[in-house]
Amino acid sequence: MVSLGLACCALEVESAVRCGLLEPERDHAPATHTVVLVAGTVTTALAPALLRATEGSHGAVLSIGACVASGGPYWDAPSVVPGADRVIPMSMYVPGCPPRPEAIVSAIRDAAGTRAAHA
Amino acid sequence: MSTVPSNARGVIALVPDACTSCMLCVRECPTWCIEIDAHTEQVTEPGARRPKSVSVLDDFRIDYGLCMYCGICIDVCPFDALHWRMAFDYSVTSRAGLVHSTERLASGASESSTNSTMSPTTSNPSLS
Amino acid sequence: MPDIAPSRWHEELAAHVAGGYAFLDVLTVVDRGEQYEVIARVVDVRSAAARLLTTRVAAESAEVASAVDLYPGAGWHEREAAEMFGIRFIGHPDLRPLVTDGQGQPLLRKTTPLPARVQTPWPGADESSRRRTRVPGVRDDWSADAS
Repeated sequence: MVSLGLACCALEVESAVRCGLLEPERDHAPATHTVVLVAGTVTTALAPALLRATEGSHGAVLSIGACVASGGPYWDAPSVVPGADRVIPMSMYVPGCPPRPEAIVSAIRDAAGTRAAHA
Repeated sequence: MSTVPSNARGVIALVPDACTSCMLCVRECPTWCIEIDAHTEQVTEPGARRPKSVSVLDDFRIDYGLCMYCGICIDVCPFDALHWRMAFDYSVTSRAGLVHSTERLASGASESSTNSTMSPTTSNPSLS
Repeated sequence: MPDIAPSRWHEELAAHVAGGYAFLDVLTVVDRGEQYEVIARVVDVRSAAARLLTTRVAAESAEVASAVDLYPGAGWHEREAAEMFGIRFIGHPDLRPLVTDGQGQPLLRKTTPLPARVQTPWPGADESSRRRTRVPGVRDDWSADAS
């Protein structure tokens, strides 16, 4: 699992890991099933880096929180990408601002067992 | 799983019968994530001299891709038609799936992961 | 505390440094329409006492003395305020943009539009009303063009 922690949502991902909500033995996915979490506001300046970080990845890409889904509270800002699925396709959207660690873990478990419908 | 606090902001629930389509929640939402479709009808109450205009709710939608869970809609509703409800398993595989309409918002059932459009994996039992 | 006259801004800051308020917490700007309010919060770390110092400059050709020689930490605060409001800090050695590439408009001026809010139909608009709805947070003088 790779977490691209860009803003506040990264703290909830961290919380999920640190508080033991993700159990290594139970939640470890096979190596072929990578899960990428995009957690936090994606700015226009960062969009190329997001593309580079995820291109070639064949696993699931999860949108964590409102900012990644739509720009969230910052959808109107000229420097914010109003929805990171304009940059890379998302396998799953976890709503929240931020989502609870439990919601993130639940989504990771759903995603880790399946291949993303990735182009 | 750990204990989730009872006052955690899970999802916003609607009591459709209490909603008068006054649009206060729609107007006060900072992210413009609420939409209401409504129409007016003429209703004559028994004993009334003439009909009055009432707003009828057709559809109430919250886009949880935009919602920032501030709760302003809940605070401003004069009829207490909106309230917090504990739910956090409503992740979906499509962006459109994040828009909840009237029926879903009014649903009192707790939303488990089986309600999401992605079904739990059966290939690896340890991940279910 | 009452506003300080812009011409006395540097002098007042210097007096505060001398008086023990040697730590700059924040230096920022608020767009008050015709004027920009420059705010500096300075702290005496020995007692945690803090003072909020303010001055107002005309929005057109806004400029004020830089505080960088008194509070070196003001360097970045003033760079950001300069690029976000288009205000000049006289005496600052390097007013390069801090956050953006410097090619855009001063983003925190109230006159700088958010095109997305102008272009997106407000769900709260009353379609049956013939009056043009005033959308909260969207000024009438905002254009819809992203520049």
